[in-house]
Amino acid sequence: MSGIVVHLPRGSGGADGEPGGGAVTLRLGPGEVARFGRGSSTTPVELRLADEAISRLAGEIRVTDDHWQLTNHSTTQTYLVENPEGAGEYLRVSPRRAGAPIPFEFSRVVLPTRRGTNVSFQVFAPDHVYLDPPGAGGSWGASRTVTAYSLDETATYFLVLVALCEPWLRDQSPVAVPTTPQVVERLRGHATGGGLTARAVSSHIDYLADEKLRIGAAAAANEAGAGGCTGTAAAGDRRNGKRDAVVALALKFAVVREEHLALLPPRAEAGARGR
Amino acid sequence: MRVQGPGAPGGPGASWDSSGTELLPAGHRVGDWVVTEPIGAGGWATVYAGTRSGADAPGAAQEPREVALKIMPTSGLAPRQARSVAEAARREVEIGVRAGHPRLIRLLDSTVLSAPGHPALDGAIVLVMERAGASLRDLLGAGITEAEGARLIAGICEGLAHLHRSGWVHADLKPENVLIGEDGSVKLSDFGLAAELTTGTHGHGPPMGTLDYLPPERWRAPLGELGVEVRPSADIWALGVVIHEVFASGAPLFSGATPVARGAAVQEYAAGRAPLRMANGVPEFWRALATDCLAPTHAARAAHTAESLLERIAVRQAAPSVPRSRTGRFGRATRIALLALAACGAIGPAIWSYAGHTGREAAPGGRVGIAEPPLQVRVFNAEKGCRERTDRDPRCSLGLAIDPMRPYTAGNVVPTRVWHADVLEADCQLLSGEVVIDESDTRSTHWFRIRLPSAGPGGGPGAEPGAIAWLPAVRTKDRPPLPGCPAPTAAR
Repeated sequence: MSGIVVHLPRGSGGADGEPGGGAVTLRLGPGEVARFGRGSSTTPVELRLADEAISRLAGEIRVTDDHWQLTNHSTTQTYLVENPEGAGEYLRVSPRRAGAPIPFEFSRVVLPTRRGTNVSFQVFAPDHVYLDPPGAGGSWGASRTVTAYSLDETATYFLVLVALCEPWLRDQSPVAVPTTPQVVERLRGHATGGGLTARAVSSHIDYLADEKLRIGAAAAANEAGAGGCTGTAAAGDRRNGKRDAVVALALKFAVVREEHLALLPPRAEAGARGR
Repeated sequence: MRVQGPGAPGGPGASWDSSGTELLPAGHRVGDWVVTEPIGAGGWATVYAGTRSGADAPGAAQEPREVALKIMPTSGLAPRQARSVAEAARREVEIGVRAGHPRLIRLLDSTVLSAPGHPALDGAIVLVMERAGASLRDLLGAGITEAEGARLIAGICEGLAHLHRSGWVHADLKPENVLIGEDGSVKLSDFGLAAELTTGTHGHGPPMGTLDYLPPERWRAPLGELGVEVRPSADIWALGVVIHEVFASGAPLFSGATPVARGAAVQEYAAGRAPLRMANGVPEFWRALATDCLAPTHAARAAHTAESLLERIAVRQAAPSVPRSRTGRFGRATRIALLALAACGAIGPAIWSYAGHTGREAAPGGRVGIAEPPLQVRVFNAEKGCRERTDRDPRCSLGLAIDPMRPYTAGNVVPTRVWHADVLEADCQLLSGEVVIDESDTRSTHWFRIRLPSAGPGGGPGAEPGAIAWLPAVRTKDRPPLPGCPAPTAAR
């Protein structure tokens, strides 16, 4: 149970009062609380949202079990929590609502502003646990042995992972792990994954490596710093190391299996894959 | 582990039947064994009770008649999954072969089934194991007395100490995997997740576990090429959780409705945001022991090994309930002489006579119990080699004294011999009898009055009905709450 990750994109505020400051990433463990709002010297907040329409203390996030709760301190504004992977799925958190449980693994918290734009930040809850597949037997009893590092097989990151593992699963031979452009190409035509950009694919790979599988020290040493772009050749190599590690572990521990290939769109004839 | 029963509830894909596992009917032959009934299903395996198909098969005499058949099917699995099943089986076999111990469930045989006519079974790995009567989980609900709990935990510690010494981490210690033999002995089982200590300090295991027994560091542990890093301190954490459960009637230590919620509570505790809240009923000694096992970091926990915990338990068990002073270690000759006494038919002079000690009136027990005597005490042999054998070798037998006020020597023992793990009926205790020093220099004046069985153990000649004898308290780890004995009247 490692908690949640809160990510405030660049230009929305900043932790220490620099309006329009850099991106902020907070990690919260179970039981920890982060307050958000415009903040002031008397109203400290961990997550500063620089917009005058937002209260000094607009709300707070509390990590509970494998999910988190949102308290809305505003007396007038309703906040929205969107599930970016949920095909429009969202929750409304009414003014003064305390501790609304948020069930999504990925959330975008949206606060209304006067200018017609919104201020938003993302919350990831990677600790969601999934039951082992039926063939593994047993029951969800008090003392079941389960696989840690379980993944949501309906999530986009899983689709990306299956695409990465596909050559191995089909050929059982040591071929190169697909590159990000190859993954984008492979998923084209998929109902939800078809519109993924290279940058999105890269951040899904980062999420898998850092939050879901928690790739160990050896691979992490090669890890690219931040962001989703492969600017320099060195950064590209580091990302390849991470990609290889994700695929190796997913296959080794049977996180991705032959049956998951059905999640991918049908293959074009072999020549069109552009190896 | 789920036990199949009529109308067993099961969520989608959760119950045994809906998971598609085909149950074997009674009478089905598996290699040399015949299935009698299903016992349960774990992650990779279904477990059946079984018996040997031919009673006159060679070697049948040494084997128990009733065995547990752990069947791990591999058909229908992806090659990598089949490989992980085979890996789990390999670990079980390796521990069974290389680390056999009375506190570990015994592996009798292993085989791979060839059953072309039965696709679900073809290629299944079968582990034939000693059959246990119950698991610690079964006992938890019924309530466990402090003395019984102490015995069970000491047994678990012995098993863990042996595993760790042999270079393995169990990695899935929980009450379901602590089995209780027909004779009440503790046996650890299920080594499917066990990790071999490849570097001396840690090993690697598959990324699996039981959420309620995972140490805090495991929730953040990175996954590496070899799996997840496992250290012996993970077993110590799980032991702490189990100790609490034993004395809290199975109540979970960390609060929360689901294993995931309790896992979050573990994180809060480990991060120092929440205190450790144990149930009120946990006795002081065990509370302290469990707290040490549950030190929040690996580094803090590493100071407490299975060995050191076992030592603390042994010291406490050996301590009589009245204060005493330890007068130092005794000579080697004394110990050797006592060993000779332990052996059958040894004849010798007085072993140890406490100078100036005269027969005193027996004081009533410091703790007068509420339970009705007789209560059971289990014989403990301080000789490790003897604890490991079950063949009742005369050299491992122990004597019962005729008179607890006279030295514990060959001239002062009844003909009935007892062996390690025998269960005797004690009806009262004497706190100030003759001093006895055992092989590990534990010194005690504490004795239990034993009702001799009218049929000897193993069908041997028994004592006459109503006959009594005295067991030195150093010969058992149990301390049942018995009343004090009246002053012994045996003539000198």
